[in-house]
Amino acid sequence: MTGEGLAAKRDLLIAVLDTLVPAAAGFPESGALALDHVLAIAGASQDAGLLLTQALHAIETASRGAEAGGFAELDANRREDLLRAVERSHPEAFDALVQHTYDGFYSHPATIARLGLEPGPVQPRGHRIEPASLPDLARVAARGPIFRRA
Amino acid sequence: MATDDRIDVLVIGAGASGAAVAWRLAGAGIGVMCLEQGDWVAARSYPHWQADWELHRHTDWSAEPNVRRLPQDYPVNDQASPISPLMYNAVGGSTIHWSAHFPRFRPSDFRVKSLDGVADDWPIDYATLEPYFDLNDRMVGVAGLTGDPGYPPKSPRQTPPIPLDTLGATIAGGFERLGWHWWPSDSAILTRDYDGRRACVNCGPCDLGCPIGAKASTDITYWPKALAAGARLVTRARVREITLGPDGLADGVIYYDGDGRERRQKARAVVLAANGIGTPRLLLNSRSRDFPDGLANRSGLVGRNLMFHPYAMARGIFDRPLGGHRGPIGCSIISQEFYETDLARGFVRGYSFQVARGLSPIASANGGSIGDRVPWGRGHRRAYDDRFDRTITVAVIGEDLPEADNRVDLDPALTDESGIPAPRVTYRLSDNSRRMLDHGIARAREVLHGAGAHSVAFNPLLRAGGWHLMGTARMGRDPATSVVDAEGRCHDVANLYIVDGSVMVTCAGVNPTSTIQAVALHVADGMIRRRA
Repeated sequence: MTGEGLAAKRDLLIAVLDTLVPAAAGFPESGALALDHVLAIAGASQDAGLLLTQALHAIETASRGAEAGGFAELDANRREDLLRAVERSHPEAFDALVQHTYDGFYSHPATIARLGLEPGPVQPRGHRIEPASLPDLARVAARGPIFRRA
Repeated sequence: MATDDRIDVLVIGAGASGAAVAWRLAGAGIGVMCLEQGDWVAARSYPHWQADWELHRHTDWSAEPNVRRLPQDYPVNDQASPISPLMYNAVGGSTIHWSAHFPRFRPSDFRVKSLDGVADDWPIDYATLEPYFDLNDRMVGVAGLTGDPGYPPKSPRQTPPIPLDTLGATIAGGFERLGWHWWPSDSAILTRDYDGRRACVNCGPCDLGCPIGAKASTDITYWPKALAAGARLVTRARVREITLGPDGLADGVIYYDGDGRERRQKARAVVLAANGIGTPRLLLNSRSRDFPDGLANRSGLVGRNLMFHPYAMARGIFDRPLGGHRGPIGCSIISQEFYETDLARGFVRGYSFQVARGLSPIASANGGSIGDRVPWGRGHRRAYDDRFDRTITVAVIGEDLPEADNRVDLDPALTDESGIPAPRVTYRLSDNSRRMLDHGIARAREVLHGAGAHSVAFNPLLRAGGWHLMGTARMGRDPATSVVDAEGRCHDVANLYIVDGSVMVTCAGVNPTSTIQAVALHVADGMIRRRA
């Protein structure tokens, strides 16, 4: 399964992403924000695509028989339990899934704005830094040289 | 094979040291050509201009060539090393990616054998390099503050220090409570306009390059001046080997141009500036009847004594916002409280603390240099919000001592796109370094708690931390125990010079670029003097 293969499992993938980063405290769930990135990285990188496919396949397999309708029909507790089981059985693939989910979620403009930052490129705007009061360096300087003369 | 006319000096590598030596030689009227396997990085090509800039840190703008895999990169077999070498291939070299933390070596760093009975003394000292430190500072433009008791008095810094903000004030308070040394870092980043370059706007990710030229990568410091002085720079030129003439002297190189065509460039002298891994790779790949084990390698030391700076990282979490996602990522405060040898600590030599800025959104989620990813699931939101903009990371930069078994050689199977053997790195962290880092982690924990952190986590050894590549063609007076002499000239080949981190005899406990560039300028002046 490639990026296209993952796209065919779109509903399952959204449900998984929503479980990894659920909506909370005014932040939306990650299915809405990270999906495009996860699909894009699966299509752009063969290594990533393989790992993501392995993870989703393992989740799908583990979901079979859990309940009619599969993973998406499970309640939040059972979804998390199932994902933790897959995390133990397929650690590398699951790690990639979490990383790319976080990458997609925390690069999305909606998330950036919710964090209180200005979305968009960091150039040319940069950041304004207000002067902060610093401890007096006089104590440090008053110690005299702390290097060895050689 | 095309052959170009013989030039005076051929420099291999356009990074920190190659740019400095090319500028100095060209300014003295010497004909200089530099071959660089990368290309110019256009200001508009940096990811900072894109909304998804942070995603590029782990793909095409990674500092790891094995992750980045750009056409101009070569692979590095680092399977036998707990530290991955980092580098960049472009005009500017790894100064494109560096964080520009810019301390000098200290006087004792050149005398470790005499003072502490370990490793070797350098054949040059701090006083020899001091005028070159100052010259280099003027070329680079250093933000900082004079008066640091960790060093002999320095000339005035070119611009004021990097603004420390709430984060800097907070961690400085921790050092103050413990009565330890701290000082605003010397940084090769402008805080005021200087020498035709713009001041930093505190956008943050210096490790992805600086698109406005505030950070002193050599493509915007040395190279414009070197080119104006007459130096020639050939990009996308991948050198395969250095060739010898019948007189036993280096007479040029064989390289592949941007179209993959094999070419030969003749020269009266050759300067290697290809970093502490690229330089031994080239020497070891330049075998001949006279040098069956690699060029300039009669000592058998080419590639040996590889030193990284092993990094341990400690991160404190605070209960208030610190503003750490703003400002130059690697530059804030340095502490050298535990720099000089005190055997009561259980190790010889010492380390610095480098306090970096905070983490950007994705790095916060994935745990940054600690690697402890924020948990997923229903606890994610609270866990993330407890961290974002509330962390301070203290890096422990330990002095690595030279050990012959830590080395670079040629991989028997892996090659780059031109078929040139890839370097293979074999490295083991010494017991002394381990004890040093453990001491540093414990002290970093103290300072973070002293600054108000409610929890501290650490990474005992940063894998993606091989920024500094040193020692693989060491400097010394004795041809049996060193590769180059006190002026960077190979003992075995009198017109072959090395100016990058390879020549470092020991590596100190601070970032090396300031010292690498000062050594390069010192070597250049020796070449100019001999020519005169």
